[in-house]
Amino acid sequence: MDKRNVSLPVKIVIYAVMIIFTVLTVYPILWLVLQSFKTSTTYLTTNKLSLPAKWYTGNYPFVLVQGNYLNFFYNSLIYSAVTVPAVVILSNMAGYAFAKIPFKITRWLYGLFIVGILLTLQSILIPLFLMVSAAKLHDTRLAVLIPYIALGLPMGVYLCTDFIKSIHNELLESARIDGASFMRIFTRIIFPMSAPVSVTLAIITFTGTWNEFILMSLMISSEKYKAIPYAVGRYAGSLGSDYGKLFTSLTVALIPILVFYFIFRNQITKGVAAGAVKG
Amino acid sequence: MTTRTEKRLSYAVLVLPALIIYLSVVAFPTIFSILLSLTNYNGGLIFGNPDIHFVGLKSYIWMFTEPMGNFYQALGNNLLIVAVSVFGQIPLGFGLAYILSRRLIGRGNKLFQTMIYLPNVISSIIIGVLFNAIIYGRNSVLMEVKRLFNPSAVFTLNPNPMVPVLVVILWMFTGFYMIIFLANLQRIDPAIIEAARIDGAKEFRILWHITLPALSGVIVTTAILAISGSLKSFDLIYAMTNGGPAGKTRVLSLFMYESAFRGSPNYPLANAISTVMVLISIVLIIVVQRLGKTFGTKED
Repeated sequence: MDKRNVSLPVKIVIYAVMIIFTVLTVYPILWLVLQSFKTSTTYLTTNKLSLPAKWYTGNYPFVLVQGNYLNFFYNSLIYSAVTVPAVVILSNMAGYAFAKIPFKITRWLYGLFIVGILLTLQSILIPLFLMVSAAKLHDTRLAVLIPYIALGLPMGVYLCTDFIKSIHNELLESARIDGASFMRIFTRIIFPMSAPVSVTLAIITFTGTWNEFILMSLMISSEKYKAIPYAVGRYAGSLGSDYGKLFTSLTVALIPILVFYFIFRNQITKGVAAGAVKG
Repeated sequence: MTTRTEKRLSYAVLVLPALIIYLSVVAFPTIFSILLSLTNYNGGLIFGNPDIHFVGLKSYIWMFTEPMGNFYQALGNNLLIVAVSVFGQIPLGFGLAYILSRRLIGRGNKLFQTMIYLPNVISSIIIGVLFNAIIYGRNSVLMEVKRLFNPSAVFTLNPNPMVPVLVVILWMFTGFYMIIFLANLQRIDPAIIEAARIDGAKEFRILWHITLPALSGVIVTTAILAISGSLKSFDLIYAMTNGGPAGKTRVLSLFMYESAFRGSPNYPLANAISTVMVLISIVLIIVVQRLGKTFGTKED
């Protein structure tokens, strides 16, 4: 697009608006990180908006070791490392079938997945909880992994079907004429070609899985299988005792996703836009 | 193996894994939940339990008529969240996206975008706990600020506890709508805008006559996203207020969760709330499909 020749006062106002918005957004997060370098006593007795007078780092070892954060971090990694590839591969498979192998039933099956985009997880919590208990999966990693994968599929199938439709038929037809099976076409042509949408989907699925809380808190009761959002949620509603450690644990939980965001920020915003276009 | 068999078999192999997981985790429980809401099931064995009876719409009638009006309180809060999106986040998000897309500012365009979207990638639980510490209680930052202006300020309970929640929701998700509008603004053919400018159209006329009409479909989509987002809001409120004080900040999802999993469980009530949420979702889905037809292509 064009660069407009706007007058200076207008420009100043626009810059001011953008800067105010940015500061309002970022400041609470920055404030949080700064407070993690205070002891609880310092936090309670000095100005809460001030910088730490002495940078106290003792909260960090405490949170990481006694707070068991290394364990939660490890579990978060496992849940994401299983969920993301599973959603990407399953969505691509179904997306290929829906987009390129014509069957009458596709209309219905695809529609079934699309309906899932707007359904809310909370409305199926009770049956899900009962099913997990009935299958004796309660308090195992599978109790959250299977739902995580399933919940990633509606958006995944939508994005993959949409993308794979745009792959040229000539290419696939000539591969068929050369005697390639559908499965071979999938592994050799479709899956490599759909890499851009796979990256988008992987990023959306990762942030969703990494931040998931409600299933984690219901389906798993022992701490050794819990992930980061649970660790933070422990402090929910029961505030007051130890602010230094509270802010530190929030900061520790924040860091991985911030690093991830700043590396993939462009793909993330692009993926969100792609996913939300249909709603 | 004939081509026809191979085609069928491949289709099945490609679709079934996703379909089976999806049906068993999402579709089946949805129906299951609706069925349970028509019974008096309240924990324990489901099959072969002689105490489970079909009670029809009893749970619904109770939910709609119980004297506390908890359902209406929660539904009202959901509507407030939708209102914040429709009257706050969507116009603000559009305004920011418009500034960014027209490159009315040169330097820092990308930086502004990255920063304003930032809260969306952070876990709502972290945001909730953080703002709990900032807003509520005697030791909150809000009290500190109040004391700056009035040293004798004393801690009082907020008479409108939903207001801070709504402010945080506004803070969190404005960037989300900004990104959606930005993506769609960038699709408008710049040649059309250029042509209008050559014809002497001012910025505001271009906005009113070209940009906004081109975005009509997207504006409706964002409104639908706002409603579905409101239904999905749980984590933030759970961490920030836990529905309190006295259930004043409950939303439907939290009300359902509390009915089922906190204190003495009331599964029939919880399932009835779930069903209402499913019904709202289904209405939304139908609206989306209708709109897809009205606005031509589904994608734009």
